Amino acid sequence: MKKQVLLSLGFIGCLLIDHLSAQAPSRITLRGTIAIDTFGEPAALATVMLLNPADSTLITFTRSDERGVFAFKNLRNTAYFLKISYVGYLPYQQYLPPAESETVDLGRLVLKPIQRELMEVVVRTAKAPLFIRGDTIEYDATMFKVPPGSTVEDLLRRLPGIEVDEAGNIKAQGRDVRRIYVDGKTFFGSDPKLATKNLEAEIVSKVQVFDEKSEIAQLLGIDDGKKERVMNLELKEEFKKGAFGKGTLAGGPNERWAGRTSYNRFDNRHQFSLIGYGNNINETGVNWQDYSEFRGQGTFQAIDNGDFGFGGMPTGIYFSSSEAELLNTFDGRGFTRNAGGGLNYNFDNKKTKANASYTYNQTFLDLDEFTQRDNFLNTGAFNNTDTLKRHSFRGNHRIQTRFEHNFDSLNTLIIRGDFSLNRSDDDEQRHQRFFDGDVPARTINRISADNDADQRSRKLATSAIFRHRFKKPGRAFALSASYSQQFSEQRERFFSQNQLLLPVERLERLQTRNLSDADEWQFKSSALYAEPIGERWFWHTFVNARYSENAANRQVRAPDQNDTRIDSLSVFYTFAEQYYRLGSSVRYVVEGFNITVGLAGQQLTLNGRFARDRNLPLLAPPIRRSFTDLIPYASINLEPIKNLNLDLEYMYRVSAPMFTALQPIPIFTNPAFQSTGNPKLGPERAHNVGLNAFYWDEASFASVGFYFKVDWFDSQVVYNQRVERSDSLGIVTLSRPENVAGGQAMWSYWWSNVSIVKNRLSVSLGGNFGRRLSPAFINDVRNETDDRSWGLDASLNFTPNPKLFLSANGNVNFNNIAYSIQSDLNQRIRNFSAGASAKWEFVSKTFFEGNFNYRFFRNEAFDFRQQVPIVNASIRRLVGPKNRIEVRLAAFDLLNRRIAVNQYGMQNFITTSTAPTLAQYFMLSISYNFRGHVAKAEGDPEGIIIF
Amino acid sequence: MRNYTSKHLAIRSMHSARLSVLPFFALLLRSIAVFAQAAEGEVRYTVVHDWVKKLAALEYVSAREREHAAYMWGNRSEWREHMRLFFSPRCSKYEEAQEKDVEQAAYAWRKDPLLFYRDFERQRMFDIVKAEGRLYLIEDSLYCPQWKVLNDIKEVAGYVCMNAVWEDSLKGHRVEVWFALDLPVPAGPEDLCGLPGLILEANYNNGAMVVTADQIDVRPLKAELELPKTKVKGRKVSLREYREVVHKYITEQKKAEKPWFWGLRY
Repeated sequence: MKKQVLLSLGFIGCLLIDHLSAQAPSRITLRGTIAIDTFGEPAALATVMLLNPADSTLITFTRSDERGVFAFKNLRNTAYFLKISYVGYLPYQQYLPPAESETVDLGRLVLKPIQRELMEVVVRTAKAPLFIRGDTIEYDATMFKVPPGSTVEDLLRRLPGIEVDEAGNIKAQGRDVRRIYVDGKTFFGSDPKLATKNLEAEIVSKVQVFDEKSEIAQLLGIDDGKKERVMNLELKEEFKKGAFGKGTLAGGPNERWAGRTSYNRFDNRHQFSLIGYGNNINETGVNWQDYSEFRGQGTFQAIDNGDFGFGGMPTGIYFSSSEAELLNTFDGRGFTRNAGGGLNYNFDNKKTKANASYTYNQTFLDLDEFTQRDNFLNTGAFNNTDTLKRHSFRGNHRIQTRFEHNFDSLNTLIIRGDFSLNRSDDDEQRHQRFFDGDVPARTINRISADNDADQRSRKLATSAIFRHRFKKPGRAFALSASYSQQFSEQRERFFSQNQLLLPVERLERLQTRNLSDADEWQFKSSALYAEPIGERWFWHTFVNARYSENAANRQVRAPDQNDTRIDSLSVFYTFAEQYYRLGSSVRYVVEGFNITVGLAGQQLTLNGRFARDRNLPLLAPPIRRSFTDLIPYASINLEPIKNLNLDLEYMYRVSAPMFTALQPIPIFTNPAFQSTGNPKLGPERAHNVGLNAFYWDEASFASVGFYFKVDWFDSQVVYNQRVERSDSLGIVTLSRPENVAGGQAMWSYWWSNVSIVKNRLSVSLGGNFGRRLSPAFINDVRNETDDRSWGLDASLNFTPNPKLFLSANGNVNFNNIAYSIQSDLNQRIRNFSAGASAKWEFVSKTFFEGNFNYRFFRNEAFDFRQQVPIVNASIRRLVGPKNRIEVRLAAFDLLNRRIAVNQYGMQNFITTSTAPTLAQYFMLSISYNFRGHVAKAEGDPEGIIIF
Repeated sequence: MRNYTSKHLAIRSMHSARLSVLPFFALLLRSIAVFAQAAEGEVRYTVVHDWVKKLAALEYVSAREREHAAYMWGNRSEWREHMRLFFSPRCSKYEEAQEKDVEQAAYAWRKDPLLFYRDFERQRMFDIVKAEGRLYLIEDSLYCPQWKVLNDIKEVAGYVCMNAVWEDSLKGHRVEVWFALDLPVPAGPEDLCGLPGLILEANYNNGAMVVTADQIDVRPLKAELELPKTKVKGRKVSLREYREVVHKYITEQKKAEKPWFWGLRY
């Protein structure tokens, strides 16, 4: 019964409400008048907006007329938030509930002015946003510059509308500031001066001024209508600071070990990092990831070698591997023990970039290598085997610094300095056997040589570049200067024994003690001026100058003959080089089409003197050679459609001979191969054409590219050979550099990368073709070696799901070498390889990684066949919070078949060499990473990576 | 003198002192000046892209990867381009400016066709934009963002501006813009429009892309405002179809945890 009454009451209630709401109009007109003072001065053309009160979304807007009147017609009847903005006045805001009548007149709405100074100085001069939050006015403190070390008080003095008197009392917009909050909290009691005099301006991000109920009112909860002016200092979020680091330790049977650690600290201006590594598993440095994190923003350098040329002012950034001695550069031969480390500091505040690093790395190498070499003559052939045993040490200290300062957007100064200290000790034993070309081959002689050489060197390189851009776009000037110096000294002990078996048995011994030193310095400078001619033409002029001096002394003595100098092997020389180039080019640019044509004149002068020793008379008249050339240049860069680039470049290259190639003194460390310089040697001259085509699809990242380059030699420096069979020495190869006309070298490659199923399956295909025609005289008969090589490689990446990553690759390389003097000795070298790898997260946070690689080397002429199958496998697991710890068990070269193989042919010989290297081993490693390891199948393990 | 500030700022001319003496003429002149000035003109915008900040705004890319990019490239991740906007209360046209950045003055790259045309009178839009390596010609009825109008004030290129914010759900952007109170044109750079004043600055995702007006030339326009007769070949789509293409691409890239902004205009 009760229920029914309630229900019917409810029903009646609903009807009532319905009836009442039906009385409210569905569409309304809203009007009002805006004034800027109580006298009714109208605000003409003020912006009037209606916002959704729930989220401030703009619904509609209009402008007031000259009389300050505005109206919105045919509005939906709902709640609105009215907002009026008018330049120089505080935004006016009013909540409007749904209307009850069709026309709502808001009457006169009076705007409050923003204090003139605030508007003028903050908004217009400092361009700082003036934040208005209700009654709060906020200053962006970072827009008002104060000297470092200034207090908040100094900062406040600079803020418009705020006055600070001698005693430190503060007035904001004419009223005393009673309280100061720091991040909304009272700072050291209620005296505002305590905060302003003690806090550093640098930590403040915002200053807010607003009125607050008096403390008494707040305390009693009674609004007495009195308000106090207060100030809040909002502190900066600390400079974005951070640190990361990681460490790995690994060990295995047979005393295999490896360790690696790095630590980085940074904020938005500074980066500081440390790195260290050590191992006996043939990692002569760290991997790219670790190296680039170590160098941070210093990894890639701007192109600032200061050698200006036809291209104008070089721009862009590059990575030079010669500057990265900490990178792993193991060539696959022998056994090494390695250690190294360094520290790096980068500074960057956009105006100034500075970078400094110190690195040290060392490697002990134990190498055994067996080489087989066939040498072809105009008639007949001979071959030799070479067994080499080398123990060596290399240690390098290096300091690199770079400083760049942008004075303003037009002027930049760059200064670089690089210093290094290097030490190397080599101890090598070589056994060679020479056979004649008959079948069966007969041994002619055997040579054993011991060489023990210790070398120290130090190098300094400095440079400075100043760049100025004029206001006119395209007009620029740049000047560079650099100085470098290098000193090295070497001590050598050499002992060789040559045992002749044919035609008569005989034994030759040579024992020497060699002392060498070399002192070299160079100064160079370049200048460039670029001038735009109209919209589309640019004219570049550049000048390069270089001067270098070199003094080298090599004294060879015979310890078994009272240390007397061996005159035929000792030499002291001084050598100076002067180089000048003056060139000019014009470039025509229009969207997607750039063409440059240029011409330069260059002169190169070489001056040299030879003597037996530093204070002895000259051996020959001084050498003075001067080469003057005109160098043409042309390049075309086309971009017919976006992301398709075609670059074609033509250059004429003139390269001066090395000075050692000019000195008429034999230099050898092996009596069977001797080389003597040629004082009449001229430079190498070649026409060079390069073509580069590249297409890249922005969306799929698919790419295809083609590169082609060819050199036609007008004159090539070639080491012509005279092979003599002397009764006293056996087979001796004497070589001498000479200019030979003709010859060409061509090289091309292409690659493509296409995604077949997006993010799942992608394929890469590539290939290369090269041909080199090199003429050389062998025993005065011209031979032309035609060396052709082809290669093809393909790889496929497949990710069926995020936990499994598979890849496969294959590669073939053919090399055919034909000799014009003896075509029956032509060579065919074949190398094949194929591989597959898998990365699989088979249990959460547990990964299997494995790969298989098979390589096959073949040369029919030598009847050489070598198969190298390699299998690696590992399991790793991530543990701990944020996956900070990685434990990894890895097996390398499970089949124990790793060996280094090299095959190549040149001029009139072909060699195949093999060297044992680290094969099967096992490692257990544990890595700790502050940031956590990547828990993905595709991520690289941070333990020990060598495959 | 009491409303000196407002007049001075609104007129933005040398005459303020004289005008303040003659309040009546001042008001009259101001109205004329504002109408005459605000009617139409050309704006040059400088667009500064910062790919590290673009990457930082992608929540779906691992924090580690974003940090690594910032660590390696933090202060070298910017590039700039210049754009221009022709505007009037009737329509606006936004396209690439002819001039090049100083650093690339002596080289000319191929440019992609790009156009954002807004017809406020007929409530139509016409865009030419590249997405995923493909050109789209979008023609549809006018679409403008849903703005939240805030209260802050600052000056951009000599104009006092107010700010507003748009949360773009399609690309996941937070765009903060500053619009001029006394250039009563609902136009703006890129595809932005629909505010009571001309948008002079737009800041995408805290500096990932910042479009700032640096030259404003208020003058009568003629042919500049016409919809160009384009020979560009592309796919003709409606706005909805185009947004579906964008949505599909962003979803795919999200799934692969790869940034999408190399394949789309930001």
